[in-house]
Amino acid sequence: MSSTKEGLIGLSDSKKTFSFKGLFKNNYFLYALSLICFFLFWELVAVTFGKFLPRPIEVIDRVVYMFGHTLAGKTLLMHLWASLRRVFIGFAIATAIGIPLGLFMGFNKYVHAVVKPIFDLFKPMPPIAWISLAILWFGIGETSKIFIIVIGAVVPVVINSFNGIRLVDPDLYHVVKMLGGNHRDEIIQVSFPASLPAIFAGLQISLSMAWTTVLAAELVGAREGMGFIIIQGMNLSRVDQIIGGMFVIAITAWMISAVMTYLERWICPWKMQLKK
Amino acid sequence: MENAVKEINNFKIECMGISKHFGEGNKKVDVLENIDLQVEENEFIVILGPGQSGKSTLLNIIAGLEMRTTGKVFLDGKEVTGSGPDRGLVFQKYMLFPWKTVFQNVELGLKLQGISKTKRREVAEHYIDLVGLKGYEKSYPHQLSGGMKQRVGIARAYANNPKVMLLDEPFGQLDAQTRYFMEEETERIWQQEKRTVIFVTNNIEEAIFLGDRVITLEGKLPGKMGAIYTVDLPRPRNYTDLDFLKLRSKITDATKLVL
Repeated sequence: MSSTKEGLIGLSDSKKTFSFKGLFKNNYFLYALSLICFFLFWELVAVTFGKFLPRPIEVIDRVVYMFGHTLAGKTLLMHLWASLRRVFIGFAIATAIGIPLGLFMGFNKYVHAVVKPIFDLFKPMPPIAWISLAILWFGIGETSKIFIIVIGAVVPVVINSFNGIRLVDPDLYHVVKMLGGNHRDEIIQVSFPASLPAIFAGLQISLSMAWTTVLAAELVGAREGMGFIIIQGMNLSRVDQIIGGMFVIAITAWMISAVMTYLERWICPWKMQLKK
Repeated sequence: MENAVKEINNFKIECMGISKHFGEGNKKVDVLENIDLQVEENEFIVILGPGQSGKSTLLNIIAGLEMRTTGKVFLDGKEVTGSGPDRGLVFQKYMLFPWKTVFQNVELGLKLQGISKTKRREVAEHYIDLVGLKGYEKSYPHQLSGGMKQRVGIARAYANNPKVMLLDEPFGQLDAQTRYFMEEETERIWQQEKRTVIFVTNNIEEAIFLGDRVITLEGKLPGKMGAIYTVDLPRPRNYTDLDFLKLRSKITDATKLVL
């Protein structure tokens, strides 16, 4: 076995010769081990205390059941789609407002001076606090839910787009100037590409904000969606349904985030260097 | 500032009485004081000064990126009023566009000036070849070493066919070995494609190795004109030649500053 001078977990040559020492340096093995321990612990607690916590297998059973059977007239996939649709619409609106607003704040100090104090006033308000207001204004339909998602998701997009522009090295603009470019060239050649990684980081945060807010909105009043499944589970005292719903949300959100990461690598392949 | 045209002499670049200060009142910092400089066509001028002697500021003033407080800069007898593609600037921190490949970085200047794609390809490949980066056209800057990055920086400036090349401590971030090598490369490139060069450095050996003339700036701030040394050693020069070392100690002895 090599002494792995790199000191990095997962870089050892455990594939060549099997050894326990090598196995414990393999990241994927450790991930799996961690998850197995977690589920074993859960199983143990569930078996010991009974009715407060279902066993993992019972949760899986319930999720499978919900795929095939309807709850309030809809299967699990239809509920998931209801939430996803809200997240996508809210996220799209937040992006459409947030990116231009953040960019303009970065480009123009007057826009910045006008928007910043208002933005700073609203920024620390938890988006969930807007729920009651949204329901009074828009009722308990789709509009109020999407409104809350937009409120929650727009903030990180604005902040990151603004910082993306603000943190560009001014010498990069000098390069364009020295090569004979005008102000328009500076924006196209420098501002936009240089701020892309920061904008993407904002979109990732914004997406998780969208999930948080959609759940909160659905908990308050909805006839469909993952929040409905969870609140329904509470009303029916079905802990397996609540936990199952939480896992379905987690896996879906994780998959969407992975797609975003993939998109980001595809659009900004240079980003890994900027991160250092 | 009036747009005077001088026709008295044939200097490629002429600086007359350049002074520069930042800020006003009690925050005022004098950076340069009364700098005069004449550079001949195709001459390799090195401006040698310690840190905080205003040498980079002087270069930025010639580049047109910073305005002088007083004085005038002439390029081919015409007063310089701003930045422009007739001067090619090479940055200490390379300043390549990380989202562009080597090829795209080098062709940028031509692209901004609306040169056709075929012509751009031809010129960019010529200069990528000249700086010794053939085969790396499709690489991104983060895949290159420091020396290679600066080669791209040099090719990018050259590709725009500037009248004057301005290099701002271009090898300041390189390790000693790479630095020697890049100095040899700079000389080779300059011999192959002669240009008027103004090269800023704090390294005395680099200055004597490369310069036709070495101009010292006396720091601390504000930077003032020191002595001008003509280096008439045959090229390529050798760091350990007796004449090289004599000139080195002559410059060292003449300045109060450790170089």
